Amino acid sequence: MDRLRRVLFWVVVGLTAVFLLLPTLITVPMSFTTTSTLEFPPVGFTFEWYGKVIGAADWRAALVNSLVVALAAAILATVIGTAAALALHAHRFPGKTLVMGLLLSPMVTPVIVLAVGMYMVFSGWGLVATRLGLVLAHTVLAIPFVVVSVLASARMVNPSLAPASLGLGASRWFTFRRVTLPLIMPGVLSGAVFAFITSWDEVVIALFLADVRTRTVPIMIWNQVRTNLDPATAAVAAILIVLSALGVLLSYKIREARS
Amino acid sequence: MTVSLHDRSMPAKAMGRFRPPSAFWLIAPAILFLAFFFVFPLLKLVAISLPDGSAEHYRQIFTTPVFLRVIGETFRVSLIVTVVTVAIAYPYAYAMAHGGRAALLVLTVALLIPFWVSLLLRSFSWIVLLQNTGLINDFLIAAGLIDRPIRLIRTPLGVIIGMVHILLPYAVLPLYTVMKKIDLRLMEASSICGASWLRGFARVYFPLSLPGVMASAILAFTLALGFYITPALLGSPRDMMIAQMIAGQFNEQLNFGLGAALAVVLMVLTAMAFGLFGAARAALQMRDRRKGEA
Repeated sequence: MDRLRRVLFWVVVGLTAVFLLLPTLITVPMSFTTTSTLEFPPVGFTFEWYGKVIGAADWRAALVNSLVVALAAAILATVIGTAAALALHAHRFPGKTLVMGLLLSPMVTPVIVLAVGMYMVFSGWGLVATRLGLVLAHTVLAIPFVVVSVLASARMVNPSLAPASLGLGASRWFTFRRVTLPLIMPGVLSGAVFAFITSWDEVVIALFLADVRTRTVPIMIWNQVRTNLDPATAAVAAILIVLSALGVLLSYKIREARS
Repeated sequence: MTVSLHDRSMPAKAMGRFRPPSAFWLIAPAILFLAFFFVFPLLKLVAISLPDGSAEHYRQIFTTPVFLRVIGETFRVSLIVTVVTVAIAYPYAYAMAHGGRAALLVLTVALLIPFWVSLLLRSFSWIVLLQNTGLINDFLIAAGLIDRPIRLIRTPLGVIIGMVHILLPYAVLPLYTVMKKIDLRLMEASSICGASWLRGFARVYFPLSLPGVMASAILAFTLALGFYITPALLGSPRDMMIAQMIAGQFNEQLNFGLGAALAVVLMVLTAMAFGLFGAARAALQMRDRRKGEA
């Protein structure tokens, strides 16, 4: 009885793990198929679909848009979020809980609500169909991740180091640059990676704010998936999966460097 | 002259040298940025949903069968998805918490890989898997369970499978955090006292894991309410969820007032679900405190 229960338990857990991994694992091999429809298992082996994607002008333009927007949003969110996290960490001020709530609430607001709200406001400000509009919107989504990440790493820093530096006569800026920032750097960097990926993967807001010129890679995938499913989409998916994996690896390396 | 660092009578300027930059200047950019690009758009939606202060759009939403059906469908799908997700996440988190180091490593990797692949791509993969000529149908036919492909895509079942897959990591992590703190010797103790495994689990382990169950259920439910991509790609227009209806009002119907009102309804529902979470957590804490006093 006891044995049976144990076997059953691990079978359920194992199947759950397969369920989690299956969609990701089948996408990559499918991108190498020589057939014109998506096949699993793939038939033959070709890089043709990758060539098609990389050679297409619209995919290249989307890739540039995605990179520019994600990079700008990551930098903006990291600067704003890190400053806010430091204030929340080192100071008591009235309404601190409220401010914390505000900083984290983009994380729990349904994205579709944000998308239509931003669409209405940004169209009045001439920000629709611009890269700047996308950058601002994605920065809103990314700020909570940076705040959480920097706060976590600030909590591990010895709190008397910054006052010690100031006490020894260093300026505030010097103390920030040479004492505080290096200590919280792992949190800042992993927050930046998170912010980048948030923007890189974002589709709902981009659907409302982007046009043909400013569309990002997720919009291209969305259009493809809605119209025709061909192995080129799987090739894009495979490229993005590899990029995400590199991002994860990077953030783990950063975390490792901390300890 | 010597002054203590904590001497309050010291002039403010001299004090300032020993303080990190004031909180105001650090926090102001974040507050301003979010006020302009986050709070203002949400307030704008509220304003658009109430043209000339009339609540006509809300009246329409809560009296028209079409809208009530979509809201009902959103609740139904979110509830089913939440129950299934937590039910699958529970043994998984248990295995991570008590299954040893090797299991923890393997299960964590399996959990985090999909977590990092975008929602859009995972929905795309599910289309490929669930279509009539997809892997799932091929497998079921090869296993002799069915003789003709069954329709999985563009059905509520397809939406539920896709949503459970996306929400699973969110549900496992809070459960795991709670479970790894539970001492398994409590179960041994209950078995020494003569309780069967099932009874020990029901009376000892499960109540201790309840805060994790609650956290993961509410997280899954609130996230499920706002899903857009997955139901749009894997579902049929007949089983529309509220997020798709909001998008439709802005993209196709061009009825901004009604769309904004629907968005406000979704926002309020999400906030209410989170409020419920806060209340449930407070109730649990009270229970634990009372037990501690007893």
